[in-house]
Amino acid sequence: MKFEIQLEGANGKTTRVVELERDGGAYRVLLDGQRVDADVVEITANTISVLLNGQAFEVHVTPTLDGRLKLQTGPHEFTADVVDPRAWAGRKHGALEAEGRQQVMAPMPGKLIRVLVKAGDAVEAGQGLAVIEAMKMQNEIRSPKRGKVERVLMKEGQNVSAGEILAWVE
Amino acid sequence: MFKKILIANRGEIAVRILRACRELGIHTVGVFSEVDRSALHVRLADEAYPIGAAASRESYLSIDKLMDVARRAGCDALHPGYGFLAENPALPRACVERGITFIGPPAEAMEAMGSKTAGKQLARRTEVPTVPGTSEAMENPEEVRALAQSMGYPVILKAIAGGGGKGMRVVANDAEFTAAWRDAASEAMNAFGDSRVFLEKYLIRPRHVEIQVFADAHGRVVSLGERECSVQRRHQKVIEEAPSPVVTPDLRRKMGDAAVRLARAGGYVNAGTVEFLVDAELNFYFLEVNARLQVEHPVTEQVTGLDLVKLQIAIAAGHRLPFAWETITPRGHAMEVRLYAEDPDNNFFPSPGKIVSRHAPTGPGIRLDEGVYEGYTVPMEYDPLLSKLIAWGNSREETIARLRRALDEYTITGIRTNVSLFRRILGEPDFLRSEIHTKWLDELLVKPQPPATAARPGTEDAAAIAAALWQSSNARASAGANATGAKEEISEWKRQGRRGQLDRNP
Repeated sequence: MKFEIQLEGANGKTTRVVELERDGGAYRVLLDGQRVDADVVEITANTISVLLNGQAFEVHVTPTLDGRLKLQTGPHEFTADVVDPRAWAGRKHGALEAEGRQQVMAPMPGKLIRVLVKAGDAVEAGQGLAVIEAMKMQNEIRSPKRGKVERVLMKEGQNVSAGEILAWVE
Repeated sequence: MFKKILIANRGEIAVRILRACRELGIHTVGVFSEVDRSALHVRLADEAYPIGAAASRESYLSIDKLMDVARRAGCDALHPGYGFLAENPALPRACVERGITFIGPPAEAMEAMGSKTAGKQLARRTEVPTVPGTSEAMENPEEVRALAQSMGYPVILKAIAGGGGKGMRVVANDAEFTAAWRDAASEAMNAFGDSRVFLEKYLIRPRHVEIQVFADAHGRVVSLGERECSVQRRHQKVIEEAPSPVVTPDLRRKMGDAAVRLARAGGYVNAGTVEFLVDAELNFYFLEVNARLQVEHPVTEQVTGLDLVKLQIAIAAGHRLPFAWETITPRGHAMEVRLYAEDPDNNFFPSPGKIVSRHAPTGPGIRLDEGVYEGYTVPMEYDPLLSKLIAWGNSREETIARLRRALDEYTITGIRTNVSLFRRILGEPDFLRSEIHTKWLDELLVKPQPPATAARPGTEDAAAIAAALWQSSNARASAGANATGAKEEISEWKRQGRRGQLDRNP
């Protein structure tokens, strides 16, 4: 299988093409078209051990809400977008965020204890839109941009799950 | 000694207490809310009983339900842990009425010292220095505002019943006052069921140093030395260590004497902590008394060699403090980090969910007190504390090296944790020199991240290969953890969405 990996780390962004071919119980690995000496083993569901020319790396993978992957190895962290290039033609990010219209998502599950705006209100970037209580802390959800609140989709007192859309700001 | 102890708590502290009981041969009774059936403390207890809905008010904060379990199970003592009802005098009262021993201070001592205002009044009477401010709850916000203006900003509003940074707001100027008052009062109401707030002058750049005291029921009160807890995020302790790098033997004696004086005057019994702020000239000011076992008690245990929970149990059983602990001096150095289910890349928002995989550090000088395991779903209803990672060594340097090593070994996937925050702090020159204060971390976090230390060649390649392998395994199995971990399967919506995005291509 062939994957395009858009990798973002502390030192910027790169794009790598990784090809994995099954070889018995193991994998043959091509990196950017070049065969590399890599011994790859899945230790547990989200932990992968990579021996690359004998250099040992253990990589821990956690998927994020927006369908990307958080990768951690030792003190280093990366975010990856994984695309299968066979079907790739410029993946459109945030397909719903057309023309500067922004959705405001609940970043975590919790209880919506306060809604601070209503449809039609003018808001500044960073202005509080709602307050979610989770794990005993009250967290203010802020507007991603300056604009107008187009719709508020949730009511006070409602439970929300992570990724649920709270409001639209345009 | 007791036969059976009810542990009126959850999470890592319930497990910690349970372990002490087991070592002493005492039976343990756990309690759990609807969402905690699979929690570690329930798995490890000798007996466990349900006490109601997920909301704390209907379970862990219900004295009636706890008393009912204690009666049914035949418990002769109760340990409250920290948080929840640990500092609510109604709990020791209810215990006394039913002939159950409360492992903690008597209700009267809690009232005399536990609330911030009462503690302050007692400190003034016993000539322990205090920070200027009101010593009583203020009802009228305009009155408080006038006082703040006359005292001069910055000031801080604190919940009377507060703790752990909840119901607390710093007010930098008059314009911020109204919003801060509203937030502090409402947060206090939600967290403690008591919206009362008081006002204090806000000291610039103080350190937070606290003294662990122990008192038996026979009049002996001792200090077990200090803990430095200056690394805080939004008034919540993040790293604690013992001994404090700035406390000299002379200052340790003075602060210890003050704490002991206060505890004695308040009729205190059992474990307690007297918190102080220390300024640049090493003057100390009384802050508050925590009338309970502290989250950070393990660092004191590591440098004194004592088991504080066992000591609490022995004192509650009427035993005397056995020797002259006035002479105790810390040996070596210990440091604790609090690992939370929080996303450091997303403004530290809580990150509850299922722990898909987990690897715990071990080895020399490492201790892990925790209430989680692989496969456990961290509920959204409670405190985000997952684990306390404690390291100790001969020196502060060795302790920090061990902690860094252990943090690199410690991995949790499925949820986000604040482990990267500790990697950053433990590399900061200010922290290594211990030039820190209670606002130090908040100030650090608004600065841009320093450039990452250069990764070994191949790190990026390995990450890319791992991402590809993960993707191929998860596409194949069509099941993986989603980001919230709430469900085993990737949601059908998300999968369809991704498929749709791929299908749009030639």
